[in-house]
Amino acid sequence: MSEQTLAYIDNNSIIHRADALSKLFWVLVVVIATFQFRGSISRGLMLAALLFLAIVVARIPLRAIWKVSPLIFGVALLLGVFHYVVTKGITPLFSIGSFVVMKEPLENGAAFFFRLAIMVMASFMLIWTTDIRELMVGLVRLGMPYRFAFVIFMALRFLPVIQQEVDAVQSAHAIRGQAAKSQISHRFHLWQRYLFTVIVNGLRKAENTAVAIESRGFGAYPDRTYVKDFRWTFSGITLVVVFLLFGVGLILLERFRFI
Amino acid sequence: MISSNPSDALVTFERVSFTHFDRTVPALENVDLTIRRGSFTLLVGPSGSGKSTLCMLLNGIIPHLLGGELSGKVVVDGNNVAETEVKDLARSVGLLFQDPEWMFATLQVEDEVAFGPENLRTPPEEIARRVEVALDYVGMTSLRKNLVWALSGGQVQKLGLAAVLAMQPPLIVLDEPTANLDPATTHAVHELILRLRSEGKTILLVTKDLDEFMAEADDLILLAEGRVVAQGSPRQVIEQHGLEMLDLGVWLPEPTEIGLRLAKAGKLLSQSVPLTVAEAAQAFEHFLFVSGSGNAKKAVTGEVLVKATDVEFGYSHRVKALRGGSFEIRQGEIAAIVGQNGAGKSTLSKLLVGLLKPSGGELILFGKPAKKWKVQALANEVALVFQNPEHQFLCDSVAEELAYSLLAQGVDDPDEVKRRVDDMLARLDISDSAASHPFALSAGAKRRLGVATMLVGGRARLLIVDEPTYGQDRHLTERLMALINNLRHEGITVLMITHDMRLVDAHVERAIVMADGEKIFDGAPGELFQSPEIVEKASLRTTSLRRLVDAMRGHGLTIPDGLNTVDAFIEAMA
Repeated sequence: MSEQTLAYIDNNSIIHRADALSKLFWVLVVVIATFQFRGSISRGLMLAALLFLAIVVARIPLRAIWKVSPLIFGVALLLGVFHYVVTKGITPLFSIGSFVVMKEPLENGAAFFFRLAIMVMASFMLIWTTDIRELMVGLVRLGMPYRFAFVIFMALRFLPVIQQEVDAVQSAHAIRGQAAKSQISHRFHLWQRYLFTVIVNGLRKAENTAVAIESRGFGAYPDRTYVKDFRWTFSGITLVVVFLLFGVGLILLERFRFI
Repeated sequence: MISSNPSDALVTFERVSFTHFDRTVPALENVDLTIRRGSFTLLVGPSGSGKSTLCMLLNGIIPHLLGGELSGKVVVDGNNVAETEVKDLARSVGLLFQDPEWMFATLQVEDEVAFGPENLRTPPEEIARRVEVALDYVGMTSLRKNLVWALSGGQVQKLGLAAVLAMQPPLIVLDEPTANLDPATTHAVHELILRLRSEGKTILLVTKDLDEFMAEADDLILLAEGRVVAQGSPRQVIEQHGLEMLDLGVWLPEPTEIGLRLAKAGKLLSQSVPLTVAEAAQAFEHFLFVSGSGNAKKAVTGEVLVKATDVEFGYSHRVKALRGGSFEIRQGEIAAIVGQNGAGKSTLSKLLVGLLKPSGGELILFGKPAKKWKVQALANEVALVFQNPEHQFLCDSVAEELAYSLLAQGVDDPDEVKRRVDDMLARLDISDSAASHPFALSAGAKRRLGVATMLVGGRARLLIVDEPTYGQDRHLTERLMALINNLRHEGITVLMITHDMRLVDAHVERAIVMADGEKIFDGAPGELFQSPEIVEKASLRTTSLRRLVDAMRGHGLTIPDGLNTVDAFIEAMA
């Protein structure tokens, strides 16, 4: 069985044991704080804190982080480069040969890189450490109708399914060989086919699951019972408080120009 | 016998017809049947005969979720299915799907069992009790905290069954629950089904593994082209319609098939056709056996295509999927890799096509170390047909699909491409579908197209087929095997990954047996089936034909070796 990187990683760390709702609020705290930061130092420190939390505290294998790094850092880097290119520069910083690096585009590009990387990293932390069922029960206890809470639940449940599908199609296509060297239209066609297969099979699996779940009585009544009810945990609340203080602290340090 | 007393009926179909949305031919036509409370019913029929449609009608998936045109009346546990919603029918019918992973909605084993009763607003204390009972029933109490997607194939089926049992439905419907399982796990699931049956549960089972159920079932329903061809006790149906079942492509246990063919030839002295190995051993004991030709297996001495020396592979540092396998595969061989679910068979096939690289040991593919091969370049030498052929399709029509493979191998002359595509379409008997979308083909045709896309270029020397008989009836399997045997005669080496022991015994010269990532046997299937310790360690099971031969020898009869097919057995009967 190949390694799942878009799903719960069974580690039983203190972060895994923290309740799901606290972790959801923690993601919100991290994201809101990141959007309040003005400089790259604060954003960089927040990203470093997330990586520390993932690798040291939650003991997420480096392989898992490495495997999703194109999603965490690759896409963010593309966004950063895009904003570097489209931002107008006024203040020259340094030059490499005839290429002058400007301050404003660099800052703007870095801001977008960090924001996206932090958001995606925090979301992955939630996925890697949270039993999605507990998240669903928690949302229901907050007053969300259980069928809505279940939509979020199913979306997360399908991430590993899609990943398996992508892996399988990628392998199958690789062993078909290449019909042309590198014509752009041909490559585009291959990508189109690749997506088509993943989407068709993904939708088919989603439909099968929806059918199977309904045939197990899902949605039979406006509410349902829960064997394991939701409970707030000390470690979860502590996580939210620590990151709240960390975020507010960084904002204050920025405002008083310490960083 | 099916009861005519309506008060005893849990399920009744009255002149039921159903046509799927966007189809013109009905999937079910004028079906009348009854399932009694407390009965054990087998539902059999060739691929596409309407078995799954019938199962999905029982819990309302059809017509409520998968649309179409329904006529007639289906009543389950007093509910008219057309007027009762799926969620309400969930109280009456528990349906276990072929691939229960679809139905899993949670992460942990115990949560999965609780999911159904929770939906039905069962009090939490009662759910906790049912979870205990259901997990204990299927022997998974110690795995209750495990993640559902870290379970083996057999555990997945058992968990699916536990989830169904926890809802305490009056009717349990099992749609090919063992299609993905190794033979020993299949046997374990069969034992669970028989236990449920002995406790008086009403069960409808769709399966092609009839061996263990023929003597136990109360009723057998035979479907073909959406119509009920026969219904009655298994003995009654086999005696009146057995030969028709063989003609339709239904898999029957080998002893029964032999009995039917002997009866047809007027050679069976006993009154009834045998349903079990024990009955067959008794029914055939007056025969004398002469040494038949069998399928003599000869040693192959062709060029070495694959040479593996202590090959290792691990998906992570903790788990090694392959732990030191050594073997050679030579030009012209037909071999099978067999073993339990998760034994490392698929890993080995991925190493052979270059999708994975060994982490230890030495693997030489076509004279060059595996690590130096690129997947695309290796694709010219070795072809892999996936279990799900849809994953391999790249084009919008069957003909384009074959043309793509030719282009990938450097054949770009349009006339030559057309000639070879037409030739391959004709060989596979899918010329009529040349313009169809590959996804729109039937399951059997998709499988054959999967093989064709891999071989149309004509350069691959090794063909690997993952589970060639999965989801295929007898006729489709015979066609696929005929194709594979033809390729073999053209000099292509064939390696099959399979759980189907009947296939291994009948078609393969060499079986490589894997267990826990290690090769534990490498030799002729005949030798394998005479080594009970290896068969057990690898979670295999001998075929019912082999068990019949053993039972007859146990009765003191002299039976020659090498009777590996029904044909060989009958031929040897004097």
